[in-house]
Amino acid sequence: MKLADVIEALSLDTFTAPVEPNVEVAGGYVGDLLSHVLASAMPGDVWITIQNHANVVAVAQVAGLAAILIADGKRPGDEVRDQARSAGVVLLGSTESSFEVAGRLHGLLAAER
Amino acid sequence: MSPRRIAEEAVAKGIEMIAVTDHNSARMVDAVAGAATAAGLEFLFGMELQTREEVHLLAYFDEAAACHRFADAIYDLLPDRPNEPAYFGDQVVVDVDEEILGQEPRLLVNSLDLAFDEAVSLVREHGGLPVPAHVDREPYGLVAQLGFPPKSVAFDLAETISGTLPGGFGRAVAICSSDAHRPEEIGRRRTLFEMNEATTEEMILAAQRVGGRSVTCVAEGWRGK
Repeated sequence: MKLADVIEALSLDTFTAPVEPNVEVAGGYVGDLLSHVLASAMPGDVWITIQNHANVVAVAQVAGLAAILIADGKRPGDEVRDQARSAGVVLLGSTESSFEVAGRLHGLLAAER
Repeated sequence: MSPRRIAEEAVAKGIEMIAVTDHNSARMVDAVAGAATAAGLEFLFGMELQTREEVHLLAYFDEAAACHRFADAIYDLLPDRPNEPAYFGDQVVVDVDEEILGQEPRLLVNSLDLAFDEAVSLVREHGGLPVPAHVDREPYGLVAQLGFPPKSVAFDLAETISGTLPGGFGRAVAICSSDAHRPEEIGRRRTLFEMNEATTEEMILAAQRVGGRSVTCVAEGWRGK
């Protein structure tokens, strides 16, 4: 499913917009321990987390993630947004909990298959 | 930061004792020790560990040998993932004259395969002083990562940003440190230890207020004695 379609279907906030909105979302990963996500998330995953500090950007870059989806209404500060923008990393947001938004994303991706 | 610059900043700001606590590494301690000692500073060896739960734990040692033994012991617990300088920066090791000795190949900004309580025990087994870092800060602070201080571990000292410990730390006394990542940050927070020598044993005695010793946090805005 295209990232732009995921954003629309889940009514996500866009803190930094996708440079390539038609990139395919391969899957999702939920995690708040960055070292764990670094080791386990797959390229093309949408990463759902409540972490909103600057380190998330490097993790998303290194792991080749499709986007970072910050859940629970948490918002990234200016420093994080600037860093994400420079790095071309997509920062999204949801007011829903990680559980809720992950469930909905999972449903969308499963329906596709 | 260059070892000499660290020492110069500390002296200029009226600091008498410093420790270096690099992230999951002790490869720079000897270079900084050399510069510090040459500048007349007291020096403690150390590292800042990141546990599996992503809690930061400071480990202080009186001697280089113990510090390096400890660093070697935990190196195998650091995932064998290479650093990627484009994303995480270079991990350069220099000597006291700033000659580049090499690069640390393994990604240091990672978690050790070690639980928090295991890390505390390991530090003590190696003769070090474990101090949980910035416990009142998220992320990577003990309270943020674990929810509350675990009952199974006790500390004499715990590092804070605010100078005040959150609840649940038992007998522990708050300290403040610069946690400087840039030279200008050196001295922005500090602790006054009234004690006989710059050793970890004395720091513990000071925390316990033995024999007139004491520990006083100085929050930001220190202007000198």
